This record gives sequence, C-alpha cells and structure tokens, in this order.
Amino acid sequence: MSSFIPTKPKLSKIIIVAKDEWRYWMRSKLAVSVMAIGLLLTLSSVVVTSIKIMELSHARHELQESAEETFVDQPDRHPHRMVHYGHYAFRTPSPLSILDPGIDAYTGNSIFLEGHRQNSAMFADQKQGTALTQLGSLTPAFIVQTLAPLLLILIGYSSVSRERESQTLTYLLSQGTSGTTLIAGKGLALLSVIGLILAPLAVAALFSLQDGESISAILGFILGYGLYLSVWALLVLLFSSALSKNSESFTALAFVWILLCVVMPRVASTTAATAVPAAGKIETDFAVIAELRKLGDGHDAADPAFDKLKAELLEKYNVDSIEQLPINYRGVIASSAEADLTQVLNDFAEQRMQTELSQTQISRQFGWLSPMVAIRSLSMLVVGTSIETHHRFLREAEALRFEFVQALNKVHIEKLSYEDDMNRNKDAAATQKARVGAENWQILEDFNFEVDDAKQRMQRSMGAFLQLLLWIALLVIVIRTTGKRLI
Amino acid sequence: MNYLCQQLNREWRFMLRQKYILILLSCTFLISGFSVLTGLNEISQQQQTLERLKAADKIDREEAQAKHDDPGSIAYYSFHLTSSSPSDLAFAALGERDIYPWKHRIKMLALEGQIYESDTQNAELAQAGKIDFVFVLSALSPLLIILLFHDLYASERTSGRHDLLVTTAKTSWALWGARGVIRFICVLLCLMVPFYIGATFSGTSLSNVVMVSFWTVIYLAFWTILSVYWGKNASSAPRVASGLIGIWVLFAFIIPILGDLTINKLVHSPEGGDIVLTQREAVNDAWDIPKTATMDAFTASYPQWKDYVAMESEFEWKWYYAFQQVGDQTAAPLSQAYRSAAQEKYQLAGIASLLSPPLLLQRVLTRLADTDAVAAFQYEQQIRDFHEQLRLFYYPFLFTDKPLDASQLANIPSFEKIINQQKAGINSNINSDQ
Repeated sequence: MSSFIPTKPKLSKIIIVAKDEWRYWMRSKLAVSVMAIGLLLTLSSVVVTSIKIMELSHARHELQESAEETFVDQPDRHPHRMVHYGHYAFRTPSPLSILDPGIDAYTGNSIFLEGHRQNSAMFADQKQGTALTQLGSLTPAFIVQTLAPLLLILIGYSSVSRERESQTLTYLLSQGTSGTTLIAGKGLALLSVIGLILAPLAVAALFSLQDGESISAILGFILGYGLYLSVWALLVLLFSSALSKNSESFTALAFVWILLCVVMPRVASTTAATAVPAAGKIETDFAVIAELRKLGDGHDAADPAFDKLKAELLEKYNVDSIEQLPINYRGVIASSAEADLTQVLNDFAEQRMQTELSQTQISRQFGWLSPMVAIRSLSMLVVGTSIETHHRFLREAEALRFEFVQALNKVHIEKLSYEDDMNRNKDAAATQKARVGAENWQILEDFNFEVDDAKQRMQRSMGAFLQLLLWIALLVIVIRTTGKRLI
Repeated sequence: MNYLCQQLNREWRFMLRQKYILILLSCTFLISGFSVLTGLNEISQQQQTLERLKAADKIDREEAQAKHDDPGSIAYYSFHLTSSSPSDLAFAALGERDIYPWKHRIKMLALEGQIYESDTQNAELAQAGKIDFVFVLSALSPLLIILLFHDLYASERTSGRHDLLVTTAKTSWALWGARGVIRFICVLLCLMVPFYIGATFSGTSLSNVVMVSFWTVIYLAFWTILSVYWGKNASSAPRVASGLIGIWVLFAFIIPILGDLTINKLVHSPEGGDIVLTQREAVNDAWDIPKTATMDAFTASYPQWKDYVAMESEFEWKWYYAFQQVGDQTAAPLSQAYRSAAQEKYQLAGIASLLSPPLLLQRVLTRLADTDAVAAFQYEQQIRDFHEQLRLFYYPFLFTDKPLDASQLANIPSFEKIINQQKAGINSNINSDQ
C-alpha cells in the first residue's frame, strides 16, 4: 500500500466513466423510466404553475385598477363616509413566482383598507381548496426540492456499489482508474442528470426576464437549485461507495431522503411554532383596544381625551369656541385620532411581524441539518415569496391606508363647514348639505406592489447559500477519504 | 403453540441482530413521539388561548355595555367571541385548524364583512406543514413499512440462504409469517405507543382510541401485504423498493395533485373578494338611497317590524342595523355559492381520496378528530346562527321603545349557550331514536 501513489484524476478518464454510466442507464428500464417521469413532472409543473401565476398576476392588476376606479367614481358624500367606504390593496405576484409560489396561497392576496382598522389579508386560496395538496403540490419548487432527490437516488444508488457487487470494481481499480476518478466520473454523470432536471426551470426563469426580473436573481435561483441537487448527488455517491451492497446503499439513501426531505421541514416548522408561540390577532386586538381607549374615540368630538387639542386650536386661531374656528373641528379630531391610533396599530403590527420573523429564523436554522430546508428558504427568499416580502406588502398597504384616510380627513377639515357637519342628521336637506363633491375623491396614489430588489433578496438568501455550501464541502471531504480507500 | 412461540422467539432474536432495522424502528418511535408531543403542546396552547380570550372577551363586553345605555350603541360596541374548541383527539390530527380559523370575534354589523377575517398564523410555517401523528401515520409509515418488508424474500435470495430456509422450514408460514409478524408488531408498537400515551394525557375517549387503532392496523396491513406481495418473486431488493416507493409517490403526490387540478377545473367558485365588495357597496349605498328602500328590503325578510319603520331623524340605529342586514342579504347568493363550492370541492376530494390510501386515512382520522374542513364549515354555520340570534335579540329594543336594561342584557345570546343547546339537541335526538 505504501507504494500506492495517488494519481491526479484525469479529465478524459472521468468523462469516459461518465459516458459509461450513461450507457448503463440507457440500457436499464428503471433509469430511463425514472428520468422520463422526472422530466415530465418538472415540465408539467413549470407549465401549470406559470399559467396559474400569470392569470393571478393579470387578475390582481385588474382588480387593483377597478378598485381605484370605483373609489373615484363614488358620488358626493360626507368625507367620513368615504373613510369607511375604504379601498383595496392587491399583492401582485413576483415574476419568478412562476417557479415557487411560496406562501402566496397561504396569506391571502387582498387587504381591505378602511379607517380606524388594520385588516388582515383575506381569502387565502388554501381555504377554498380541496385539501388534497397538503403533502405536495404541482409546483416546480416542490417537484425539484422533494422528488428530484428521489430520482437521483433511484438512478444513482448503485453507481459504485454495483461495480463492487459484480466484482468489476477491483478490475477497474487495477486497470489504473483511481477510486477518486471513478467516483468523479459517476458524479459527472449525475451532474448531467441534474442539468437535465434544471433545464426546464432555467428556461422558465429566463422568461421572467421580460417581466422585469433581474438576471442576478435568476442566476441565484438556478445556482441555488444546482447546489441543492449537487448535495444529493454527493450523498448518493457517498452511500454508494461507502456501503458494500446495492440493497444497503438503497435502503440507507431512501431512509436519508425520508428524514431530510419529508420529516425535517415539518420538524423545523413545528419546532419554530413551539419555541416562539405567537399570540393570534384576536388576542393582540384586546391589548390594542385597551391602548386605544386611552386615546379617545375619533367619532366623538366631545371625548375628554381631545380637550388639550381643543385648547391648542382655540389659542392658535385666537377664537373662543370651536364654532368660530375657520376649519372643521370634527375633521381635526378625526385626523388626530387616526394618527394616534395608527401609531398604536403599527406598534402592535410590528411586534407581530417580529414574532413571525423570529419563528421563521428558527425554522431556517434547520437548513444546517437538512439541505431541503436550506433550499426551501433560499428559493422563497430569492423569488420574493417569503414572509419578508409579505411583511413589506403589509407595511406598504398600511402606508396606503393611512395616506388616503388622512387625505379624506383633510377634505373633512377644509371643505366641509363645522355647522353643516353638526347638523347633518337634522333632515334630508341638511344631510345633503353635509357632503363634499365627488371631485375630492381623486386622492388615491397608484398602488403597485413590486417585489424587493434583487440585491436585497440575494443578501437575505446568503445564509441558505452558506448552508448548502457547507453541506457540499463536508460531503466532498468525506467522499475523498472514501474514494482513496475504495476497494 | 409452543412451536409458534419458538418461531417468533427466533425471529425476534434475529431482528435484534440487524442493526438497520433497529435504527429504522427507533427513528419511527422518535418521530411518532415528537409528533404526539408537539401535538399535545399545540392543543394545550389552543386551549389556554381560548381560556384567556374568553376572560378578556367577557370583561371587554361588560365594559362596553356599562359605558353605553342605548341599545344601538350597546350592540355597536359589544363584540362576542365565538370559537371551536379542539376535540380530545385533535392532538393527533391537527388537521385544517391552521388554515381555517377556529376563533372569531363578531358584532351585530353585517356578518359578511366579518366572517372572512382570519386570525392568521405564520404563513411560512403553514406552508411547510406540520408534523402531527396523522401525518406520521399516513405519509411516513408506508415508507417505513416499505423499507422493512420489501426485502423479506430478496435479501435471503441474494445472500443465498433462500432455498435452504424454504426446504428446512416446516411450513412457509413458520418462516416468513413469523418474520413478518415480528416486524409488523414492532413497527406498530413504535408508532402507536406514543399515541396511546398522548391519548391518556388528553383524556381521549376509548371509542376514538379504538377507531384510530383499527384504521392504523388496516392501513399498515395494506402496505405490508403490498410490500411483501410486490417482492415475492424478485431477487433484487432495490428494484422492489423502487417500485413500491413509486407507488407511494403515486398515492401521496400524483393522484392528489391530479385530483386537485381536476376538481378546481370542475367546480367554479365566486371570488371571495366579490362577496365582500358586494356587501360593502350595498352597505355604503344605503346612505345615499331613500331610507324606505332599505326598510322595505329589510321588512321583506322580517315582516314583523313592518309597522315600526317610520323614522324621525336622518340617523336612527334601527335603520343602521337594517341596512347592515340588507347588505348581508344582497351578498347572500354569492356567499351561498362560495360555501357550496367549498363543500362540493371537499366532497369531490373525498372521491379522489378513494384512489389514494394516505389521503383516505387522513380524511377518516381528521373527521374523527373533528379538525377537517367539515368541522370548519360547521363552525362557520354556528357563527351565522349565533349572529342571527343576536340580531333577533336586539331588534325588539331597536324597533320599539322597549328599554334595554341590565336584567335584559343578562339574556343576551352567547355562543357557548348555543353550542351547548345544539349538543343537547343532538343527544336528545339520539335518545329519542333508541
């Protein structure tokens, strides 16, 4: 053994081994059918999801526009009626979400915006679903994350152990092919299969270029999946070369797949939910209500909470009573109450988002234990269908809400006299008088939710990239030692 | 008998020497234990949350009712907590409770504007799914069975002992049967022991425990027989296992996904957003249309108030609540269609799950645990019933001058009372049937 000089693996030899592996696959019914099924699944998932997301995107754009139109088309009204009439914000999906819709189906896609309240997103698709897709759905992300590793195992479990079982291994090694070269060649063959699986994904991803997706996000996405499947190729090589029998290699790999792809993601989410319990919205609402009571009800101008504001206003305009003010006192109260209330609501909303974020961080740490968890977060982060992007949508929708409510309150202050306002319920004519013209409804800003910029998404996904790279580095080291001892 | 014990004893000792089987079994036990433990924790958190909410809800409502004295304002400021408590089996089958809300606070305003609010949990965790006992059973256990049973014959064939064993054994049952029985019992115990411990902790009724055990045994037996049969004549264990895992992928992923695509094409549901939009338009338009139009639409459903609709001022609470109700009535056809579509989808999914044993088991067990979509639909209906009772309670005070004092407020409908009444109703029906 001491005379054994490890030769540097030659590329041409590696390619020969890889070609030979392909020849073996082409002769084996199992490998061919597995590859055909894999390709079919990936292709159909890409097509189905692309169509679905494009429809969604189109529909939500239209809904957003029609919501803005209906708002502007409202008749003459008391401005505060428009505050309660409200407006809608729709989240349009990001271009790359044709490959990973992420949490889109779980969050609801529209928010009703109205005065004095922050509503949650409504009508998550899952609630109107068949409950059939709990284990998996026909999205490229699911197919590649969960099923593609299984395909790699099915065609690769015997790559080295087969040579050993049929006693060709000693022959190959004695012919001057080193263990490392052999494993590298088999690895190259598996890599070409990975390329095959990723090709439909890459083509679809490039299509999202025309929807304004940046090239770096697309490359990051493909690279991430390439790394992930490489981890599986390495695992397959490791077990196939370390275990002496085909059946052992297969059983071990299948078991590892069950643990890493089926069990771990759920263990991660369950652990996160257990470790950081989140109070539900209803529960925090009680705290919000208690906080809000201190502020006073903006509908009730006589609420003692507004006494200070009243005194300040009287002093500012140098008048004795609110009737003499040049502006509408009720509007001022509504506006000031809305600002205070929004502050409280935002504080609580921010707390809730932080809790969700720390839950998510915990579940992402499981990426060190399972490459599946790593690619799952990487994929959603790069695509922009992760919880961070949803939070930004919530914040932007809230900004939109606050803006239009305050714009209406401004109309209330400036365009409607206090006297008319106070007499609004006296009779039909007074009610008519306590209105402002419909031209005042032209206050909406165009709302167009865009996904975070590519740089930020890539930065967020760095942790997950590191997790995958660590897996690769460790596996390569272990395989190199196995390769040298290959007999 | 003695012979049988001898055979089982031999196979038991044989199994103890196979390291990978021991690893498989201990992982099964750990995963099953983890799922039961976190399930128990989740359910106890849900129960604690409900207790806290009930207390806070009561205080909040009493404060609101003390602050106001006219029935209109009391109704406007009083929220009512409704909830669907987890059953004694929910820890094992968390079901759809993370997708459908199990708690709502509602008031007497238009219900269609309130009922779709969801008390959302972390969407990214919901998307990953959770690991509950039903998941371990329906999705994982088939894989473990496959790994344990696929090489029953093949491993002996490849190691060359097959023919020797077959010729020396008294009957083929004594050899393969004993080996299979030992493995089956071991995997069954590893799965079920954590469940039985959990069931004891959460006081699950005996009938539920028996039903779960019954379905589990049938389900595991199905996969065992399939695995053994599939590998009967094969000599390559991996080939057998590949086929079996392929079947599992077909049952667990492909059939459900195809079913889902087909059902979504077959059943058309109105957009949820349209319901809310319709309701909002109706409610907001009420301010601009003649009051009599609203009142006419209201008294069409509630003719008993026909003689009390005259208004003395431009704002009266009875008119306000009448147009809230008219808003619900306007959106009712859409809302009904939305619910029917959801139910139809669920029923069709039942047909699809006949082709997929894992889904079938999930459906059976979540039904048993009352944590499925049906339970969510029922809860929604209970909320609707409660909302109606609440309105019927307030209408006399709003439409006539009848004062609403503390003694009357004590009779205000409560969601819990309604649930208890419904339960009592079901029980009395059962009794009268007997």
